Amino acid sequence: MTMNLFNQFLSPTFLGLPLIAIALMAPCLLYPSPAPWWQSNRWMTLQNWFIGSFIKQIFSPINTKGHSWALLLATLMVFLITLNTLGLLPYTFTPTTQLSLNMAFAVPLWLATVIMGFRNSPTHALGHLLPEGTPTPLVPILIIIESISLLIRPLALGVRLTANLTAGHLLIQLVSSAAFSLLLSQTTAASLAVGLLLLLTILEIAVAMIQAYVFVLLLSLYLQENV
Amino acid sequence: MMSRLVILSANSLKGSGPFGAGLVHASRSLHTSSQSRAPVPPLPETGGKVRHGIFPEEIFQLLYPKTGVTGPYMLGTGLITYLLSKELYVINNETLSAICIFSVIIYGVKKFGPSVAAFADKLNEEKLAKAQEVKDLAMSGLTQAIENEKKEQWRVEGRAMLFDAKRNNVAMLLETNYRERLHMVTNEIKRRLDYQIALQHLNRRLEQEHMINWVEKSVIGSITPQQEKESIAKCIADLKMLAKNTQAKATV
Repeated sequence: MTMNLFNQFLSPTFLGLPLIAIALMAPCLLYPSPAPWWQSNRWMTLQNWFIGSFIKQIFSPINTKGHSWALLLATLMVFLITLNTLGLLPYTFTPTTQLSLNMAFAVPLWLATVIMGFRNSPTHALGHLLPEGTPTPLVPILIIIESISLLIRPLALGVRLTANLTAGHLLIQLVSSAAFSLLLSQTTAASLAVGLLLLLTILEIAVAMIQAYVFVLLLSLYLQENV
Repeated sequence: MMSRLVILSANSLKGSGPFGAGLVHASRSLHTSSQSRAPVPPLPETGGKVRHGIFPEEIFQLLYPKTGVTGPYMLGTGLITYLLSKELYVINNETLSAICIFSVIIYGVKKFGPSVAAFADKLNEEKLAKAQEVKDLAMSGLTQAIENEKKEQWRVEGRAMLFDAKRNNVAMLLETNYRERLHMVTNEIKRRLDYQIALQHLNRRLEQEHMINWVEKSVIGSITPQQEKESIAKCIADLKMLAKNTQAKATV
């Protein structure tokens, strides 16, 4: 039974072909593409509105130089939200439960911000390692602590997303299998479990969207620090 | 890989930046056929009709001649029964989670669907209203310009009256000026003539006085003392006679 629970996170292959490629590329087919006429349909309008307001909110504290990251972060946000929410449907595979994928997003983007910061204004970037107003005896320790926290950021980004989604999916599996096995013998307990499952599902939908947002928000914060 | 997502993000960010126009013009070079988009056929107002949210109405219409109204529902039920009985679809824990997630989705769509659709429609309406406002503003500006032009044309017709009035004004001014000058000239001439007259009067008077003085002087000079005595005696004699006469008249 314990082996079974983690089977859902195995990267699916078919005859040796990795299906994760399809799992990554297929969701964008769900989105409407802009029509050549002037007024778009409801889906397109909503999508435009969503991406527009999201980018406006994320990039308002960042200065103009960092606005070149707008396309990247908008794409990342849409991608992560799609993968996360589609993974809540039954019998689907969520690519963002794979640590490899999330680290592949977190490390390059974080490293890009750090390298940009050290290239353009190295003193300013190094200055981030010491918060203002620290008492002098604490300075050496604090610098070490701050640099460790700087280096741990990509790990935190990747693992946060992976852990949240994996935990959510695991819980759903656990509670649903508990409810299923109790369904015939102890129906009341099973109904309680089903109620729990409903709440959990709602929570998972929220977590899926929030985790994607947090990932992109933290990246924008790292960008704001270094640009 | 994320190219399609990038495209959709790019399209929604297309308005900003110099890349927008460039993308469109760059792809023009790849157009091989000379298709033209005008006149554009009218687009349908609503999407395809669906029953129960997913199944297109066309399936029901397709099956209606052969199986009537309940056809598609029988098809669905039969299909599900077949899958379950042959254990092609096994009911397990995922089924429960599927029921949960689908009920949440259906609840969400039923509850928030109309308001989200109204919101999207409102966004579109605002976009349309903005463009309409621009058009209306342009039109009202142009009609205003036309009215102003007509007014100017009307003003031009009244130009002749204006010129007449001005001409009259100027003529009056000239006339007044002429009369003033005439008056002045008359006055000046009269003054000069008066001066000459006064001069003549003066001359005459001087002459008269001079002559009178000379006559008097010569008369006085010509009276000898004897003549003076004789005249005085005569006067006394005349006076005595007169006195006698009056006395005589008084006593009578």
